[in-house]
Amino acid sequence: MKATQDVALGVFFAAIGIVAGAIALTYPFGTPSRMGPGFFPVIISVLMTVTGMAVLLRAYRAGSPAIEPITWRSVVIIPLMITAFGLTIDRLGLPLAVLLLVVGTAAASVKFELSWKAAAGAAIFSAICALLFVKVLGLPIPLAGSWLPFSG
Amino acid sequence: MDIFNGLMLGLSTATTLSNFTYCFFGVFLGTAVGVLPGLGPIATISMLLPFTFGLPVDTALIMLAGIFYGSQYGGSTTAILMNLPGEASSVVTTLDGHEMAKQGKAGRALAAAAIGSFFAGTVGTLFIAVAAPVLAGLALTFGPAEYFSLIVLGLVTSMVLTSGSLLTAFGMALLGMIFGMVGTDINSGFSRYTFGSANLLDGLDFVVIATGVFGLGDVLANLQNEHARAASVAPVSRLYPTREDWRRMTAPILRGTGIGVALGILPGAGVLLASFSAYAMEKKISRRPEEFGKGAIEGVAAPEAANNAAAQTCFIPMLTLGLPGTATMALMIGALVVQGVQPGPEMLTQQPALFWGLVVSMWIGNLLLLLLNLPLVGMWAKLIAVPYRYLFPLICVFTAIGVYSINNNVFDVYLMALFGLLGFFFRKVGAEPAPLILALILGPMAEEYLRRTLLISHGDATVFFTSPVSLGILAITVLLLMSILSPHFRKVREEGLQEAD
Repeated sequence: MKATQDVALGVFFAAIGIVAGAIALTYPFGTPSRMGPGFFPVIISVLMTVTGMAVLLRAYRAGSPAIEPITWRSVVIIPLMITAFGLTIDRLGLPLAVLLLVVGTAAASVKFELSWKAAAGAAIFSAICALLFVKVLGLPIPLAGSWLPFSG
Repeated sequence: MDIFNGLMLGLSTATTLSNFTYCFFGVFLGTAVGVLPGLGPIATISMLLPFTFGLPVDTALIMLAGIFYGSQYGGSTTAILMNLPGEASSVVTTLDGHEMAKQGKAGRALAAAAIGSFFAGTVGTLFIAVAAPVLAGLALTFGPAEYFSLIVLGLVTSMVLTSGSLLTAFGMALLGMIFGMVGTDINSGFSRYTFGSANLLDGLDFVVIATGVFGLGDVLANLQNEHARAASVAPVSRLYPTREDWRRMTAPILRGTGIGVALGILPGAGVLLASFSAYAMEKKISRRPEEFGKGAIEGVAAPEAANNAAAQTCFIPMLTLGLPGTATMALMIGALVVQGVQPGPEMLTQQPALFWGLVVSMWIGNLLLLLLNLPLVGMWAKLIAVPYRYLFPLICVFTAIGVYSINNNVFDVYLMALFGLLGFFFRKVGAEPAPLILALILGPMAEEYLRRTLLISHGDATVFFTSPVSLGILAITVLLLMSILSPHFRKVREEGLQEAD
């Protein structure tokens, strides 16, 4: 079977169903009148697994569209940069973490090129974000994080 | 409290200077973000949520309503000017709206949409004021069996009205239920699927998942074919409808409003159904059906009115039953819970100022939309034309800060990145995520009501069929499922929904 849309989805559904079901079996099941924490998860997991199988069966019998080729650049860079934002927001503070995120994610575009204008724009945007979220909206996010020498 | 006093109370809540100002900001920001291509209402609302966090509950709620309407209308603007529907329910608007724009009548199409929406919004608000108290009273008589059946109906409706196959939609709903189980089981205190992580004990935050799957997932999907994205924006010309336009659109707006008000109450996806039915009906009864699809103003006014009326009345199941009708409503519930408000039948009696304030600010939101959009339409058109490569880094920033600020926990940021990837995967394999989002909220409710029902009936499941209300709701559900299996309806559904992606 080729890696078509339905094959990928069916395998995904069935895998989640089997794993969730196996875990749920270790929870107390209870009886219908006193459902335990495992009761509902087991039912839903079984349905999930069956649905996954049915999607696979459909792929086998009727075929389904192929998955379009994936441009990996943006798919890898953006989640990575967002994770980096999570790692740095307390340590660098909001403005620098935002600057890192803007420049980093912008690099995911195939049209990305370094220019002074764009860099200045990113810096101004980070400053505005800091003002807006921390000063105006009062969100409890540090402006300068623990990695910076001058933070409190 | 009668309706008149309620509306007065609402008026005094909604028109305090600060509440009115925040409603204005909400509408403004909602439209500004909503017109950006590739951002549907769900992504828009979740990005703008942090703006409401520091506010008192009533102000936050009113601003949220403003954001909600702004994002809805912003979606119609992109649909008309760029032929890009932000969500499934504005697909019909593109049919004639973009055709009109291509003929140089973009301004008149936008005006028709705004006027239709305003009228429908007004009627919808009045309808909420009249019907919600009655329904809330009725809802208090519902037992767990009735609630469970309603949830099943809501889930089935959302599956039926999703583009793509029913089987896939069913799988997505089940997946949403599994995600909904993560965290501490409220009945037994048992932690499920937490893998020993303290961050997962409170469950997956709904707003985080929605932002990841819709906001970030859309960014990842849009960046796949950057070169193909050079969509053009139609220029906006003369704004005010001609006398001929008025004559042609009055009756369609009235009919569209009627359809929207009635269908919006359905749990599931009433908004989508309303705009499709209104369009189909206008086409059927028009004396010039051949003009539809070629720029008929009726084909813009009627579905937009229906869309907005339904967007209004779909607040009813949410406010009276605490059940979201659409994925967007589910997000609104998530936002309310962040504010510490649990929507449901008790809201009306325990927090009347909040309830009526919300109702009145819906109407004010609609009014502001009309006042804001027509004069500013040139500015929105400029915003639409911003190239995507400047836009998407900003979307990433706003979603990341937004998600972080819900609990001030970086774990949520990582979770959003993960669900962004998952959202991308769903798009790649052709699975629509709306049922997943709805099931994420409805799943835990379904479990709770099933548990209570069976506890009361000592494990006897026939109780779902012996209660007349529950039986009636389940009968509607079965009819809906049967209708989708009939070849005629299946054809209509496929034609209607295939463009919705």
